[in-house]
Amino acid sequence: MTRGRMPKLVIGVVLLAAAVLLPFPVNRAQPYYLQLTLNIFVFATLALSWDILARTGQLSLAHAAFYGLGAYTSVLVTTRAGVPVFAGILLGSLVAVVAAAGLGVLTLRLRGIYFAIATLAFSESLRVLTKQLRFTGGPAGLIAPPLLAGNLPAQYLVILGILLLAVLVSWQVNRSRWHFAFTAIRTNEEVAAVMGVDVVRFKVMAFAISAFFAGLTGAYYAHVFLFISPFEAFSLAVSVGALVAPIFGGLYSAVGPLLGAVVLRAGEEVLRAALGDGFLIIYGLILAGVILYMPRGLVGLWTAFAARRRQPAARTGRGVP
Amino acid sequence: MLIFGVLRSGLYSLTSVGLALSVGVIGIVNFAHGEFLMVGAYLGYWLFVSYGIDPLVAIPLGALGLFALGGVVYRTSIQRVLQAPELNQMLLTFGISIFLQNLAIILWTGDPRTAAISYKAKAVALGPFTVGFPQLVVFALAMALTLGLYLVLGRSRIGKAMRAVAQSRLGSSLIGIEVDRIYVLAFGLSTALAGTAGLMIALQLSASPFIGLLYTLKAFAIIVIAGLGNIHGVIYASLVLGLSEAFVEFYVPQGGGWSEGVFFVLILAVLIVRPRGLFR
Repeated sequence: MTRGRMPKLVIGVVLLAAAVLLPFPVNRAQPYYLQLTLNIFVFATLALSWDILARTGQLSLAHAAFYGLGAYTSVLVTTRAGVPVFAGILLGSLVAVVAAAGLGVLTLRLRGIYFAIATLAFSESLRVLTKQLRFTGGPAGLIAPPLLAGNLPAQYLVILGILLLAVLVSWQVNRSRWHFAFTAIRTNEEVAAVMGVDVVRFKVMAFAISAFFAGLTGAYYAHVFLFISPFEAFSLAVSVGALVAPIFGGLYSAVGPLLGAVVLRAGEEVLRAALGDGFLIIYGLILAGVILYMPRGLVGLWTAFAARRRQPAARTGRGVP
Repeated sequence: MLIFGVLRSGLYSLTSVGLALSVGVIGIVNFAHGEFLMVGAYLGYWLFVSYGIDPLVAIPLGALGLFALGGVVYRTSIQRVLQAPELNQMLLTFGISIFLQNLAIILWTGDPRTAAISYKAKAVALGPFTVGFPQLVVFALAMALTLGLYLVLGRSRIGKAMRAVAQSRLGSSLIGIEVDRIYVLAFGLSTALAGTAGLMIALQLSASPFIGLLYTLKAFAIIVIAGLGNIHGVIYASLVLGLSEAFVEFYVPQGGGWSEGVFFVLILAVLIVRPRGLFR
């Protein structure tokens, strides 16, 4: 190990220890902050999962669909079939994966805007379906059994684990050969295919991984929030959040979505107090502003800043979200 | 049932023809299209409540206002991403859409506003059937405007220039068409059409911040059915959507709720089976 990496490792271990141990005192003093952190982690996991799919050039507006599918499956099997909550959550994410693989195969030929519209249509159809069907509780929604008997610090540790897993997967994908396959597909699908990249396999795989985490967080959050309805589980706000955070933070990395999610959610909490229902306005502004003025997000800003400090004449490349 | 379906399709085609114009001429898939419609609906409500101006009379006013708004939005944002990747353009308009929707929530709260217009509930006998008077008027006006747009595109100099730009940006600038001006015009016209449809909604139903997304999606469904950028297929595609919605409402139990899903299923089906659209 080089000298430069030692401090980083130490910092990482200290941060992790703090993340694991802090909830206990915080929960006694200020449970609100623990709840907020938990929300941020849910949001960050969603953002990471969206980013993994985006690396293959597939811009999904269907993350609410996987999130909602996970939530509904888990709540239905735990309340109706008596399955334990943990197994229900896993089952929920599996259903999301199966649905994603199906949708992925169906939409393989679609690109860009067509793909986005198709995924949006898929997500909204599911919302109408759950609203209309009897066994999903209709528009009134369903009550969900609590995870770990409602113990907040324990629930926090679960989502911390999920988030770490998502970071690990996102990071690992970028370090492995998959990274090149994903990038090649995103940049030019035909060229990728000619160079021997199995486009279909990688696209469906990215879809499945992405949906797994979306379904997992959806199911998890259902058992923390204790209630699900078609309007919340399949809401467009979920899909929008999942895509704004990575774009704001910086695409195609593990750091960007994480950073974007933390900054956005924390800022949202302040804005929600100030603006009430219209707080989403900031998402619109950020989305438009980022596209227009900083196409590589917060991470891009930082690298540009760091590069300028090292060598003043350094120029940054063109960003392509 | 047929009549309901047909009447409804008038408003749909007016909404979608604007989107088709923006997609066809500029190549921008505008996710904020429905939000311009929403702004139009609020404008109609506000003009009626504050000044007692009938939404029908306010149409030229609203169209002008929305044209200006569209121009401003184009100049400040859309113009800058014309050469950018398609996804950037889409995300930008998506951002504008979220922005406008939540601005409306902040300004006017989330509750729907209904303008109490004297002839709102009036009905007219049409042969053996009875139909709502506003619905009939809206249908006639919407159809007239849509057909008028076809005429403008087909005959006038501006229309021909727009079609030329749609075919080739470079080619038309070579023969002396000011492409940039045409783009502003086309985008303004597109938002003005959405605003007009919005005024008609204020007349028929009510204004709420959330109608925008619904109409954006329906307009998407229609232009996808017609084939992206195909302006002439829009009328037929609107008929397909209007009729299938009416069909579901009448023949499926609890059809009112299911009909919301019709256009999603149509989009999915058309995109998967025949992504080029049905009408070309």
